[in-house]
Amino acid sequence: MSKLINFITRSRVWRSFFRHGWPDNPLDRSLVMTTNIFFHLHPVKVRRKSLRATYSFGLGIISVIVFTVLSITGLLLMFYYAPTIERAYSYILTLQTRVPFGQLLRNLHRWGAHLMVIVVVLHMARVFYTGAYKPPREFNWVVGVLLLILTLGASFTGYLLPWDQLAYWAITVGTSVAGYEPIMGSAIKAALLGGPEVGQEALTRFYALHVMLIPGVIALLTSLHLWRVRKDGGLAVQDPAEEDKE
Amino acid sequence: MKRTTDKKPESFSPEDRQMKTYSLVELVKAPTPMADHGPDDTIFAFPIVAIMELLLTLGVILALLLMSLAVNAPLEEIANPIITTDPAKAPWYFMGLQEMLEHGHPTLMAILMPTLMVLFVIAIPYLDHTPAGKGIWFTSKRGKRIVLFTAIYVCLAMPAYILLDTSFPIREILRGQLPDFVLNVVFPAIIMSVIVLLPLLVLLRYQPNAREVMLALFTVLFLSAIVFTLTGFLFRGPGFELYWPWNMPGDYSPWDNL
Repeated sequence: MSKLINFITRSRVWRSFFRHGWPDNPLDRSLVMTTNIFFHLHPVKVRRKSLRATYSFGLGIISVIVFTVLSITGLLLMFYYAPTIERAYSYILTLQTRVPFGQLLRNLHRWGAHLMVIVVVLHMARVFYTGAYKPPREFNWVVGVLLLILTLGASFTGYLLPWDQLAYWAITVGTSVAGYEPIMGSAIKAALLGGPEVGQEALTRFYALHVMLIPGVIALLTSLHLWRVRKDGGLAVQDPAEEDKE
Repeated sequence: MKRTTDKKPESFSPEDRQMKTYSLVELVKAPTPMADHGPDDTIFAFPIVAIMELLLTLGVILALLLMSLAVNAPLEEIANPIITTDPAKAPWYFMGLQEMLEHGHPTLMAILMPTLMVLFVIAIPYLDHTPAGKGIWFTSKRGKRIVLFTAIYVCLAMPAYILLDTSFPIREILRGQLPDFVLNVVFPAIIMSVIVLLPLLVLLRYQPNAREVMLALFTVLFLSAIVFTLTGFLFRGPGFELYWPWNMPGDYSPWDNL
């Protein structure tokens, strides 16, 4: 068995994939992090304190996980959907009644979307109340606020897509608020809806925003956000010197 | 210091070394990476972080799956621009905005105040940049007390304001006697400002630092947003009137709006 493992891990094919040995020593544990694209946003070493569950509650990571779940379920939903006001609703009905696990797929996406809004808001509260926005993390706080706004945007644009009464009137009410902005209001509303009221143009635009633009920007800013966390020294924790003073 | 050709070029001779002088060039006021820092208590991120992330992923997926098996996403009749639903509500996370609309001029309540709030939230790290208390929940015992008292205050003051403004609508009673601008912009702006700034005025008597001011202000705004969102989402029924969530008229339930 160990001969076989040795044969595989020493083969040219294996070594072209993995540029580190078995991670049971400091060098290879560092190399796992620096040579793997999925791990390289993490630091090589983390402070023991920052791993404490009651410090961060893992809310940032949960946001990323839920976003990933939403991306995958969203992509699958796209297979069974088209943003036209004549057919969108019947696609949803077909999805729920005829497509295997269609209703489950839609439920996962719906509840995932609500969960993401809640988790991102809680994440912001956590970062604020632990003072983790303090230098050098000011800019990352700003990126985080933008990500929260984008999360709301992603959820709001997705809300219209089933094209039922709930969706229609929620978006009608939601976008009417934009109209109260005195200078740009009507322009913003017109740009969102593509017309005087919620109709085909609005559905097309909300769909494009929901499946392309907003998730794309979220993915980009999340990468920046995580990378900055690493660059700024991991999760903000108390300086050991300050702790000694207490 | 002079160097002669007969000396070895690669190193200074002992007498040269004695002639070496040092001088203070400049004092720089900046944090150094290591000064005042004790040794960091660090461990390798692999595999512990990878394992924790895997467990979190499984947990989140399990929770979502259970929720999705238990409750179906709502789907009503096909959209009909002619038939308005009653109540017509925005998605739950915008219900705070819709609730605000009930209490004053829309531009003030749904545009100006939320914009100021978002700008404040963005500006927080630039208003409070003291390093003290980083990485500690609520910074200190005093910080904890400030947050607690502010939270209790908001949970009493904001619902009271919403109830008073609804049951004793001074803006309706004085309609026609005072200009609309005064009733719907000046009045709500003053009331809101007083409610938001009152805890700060109290706090100022205790000589707070920047972080403590932020703690109070953020708590006021954050919890107000939650109170308004919950009021709009749970307590508004048909006609956008206030009801108990479990006692809505007809067959309306606020949870159907999710």
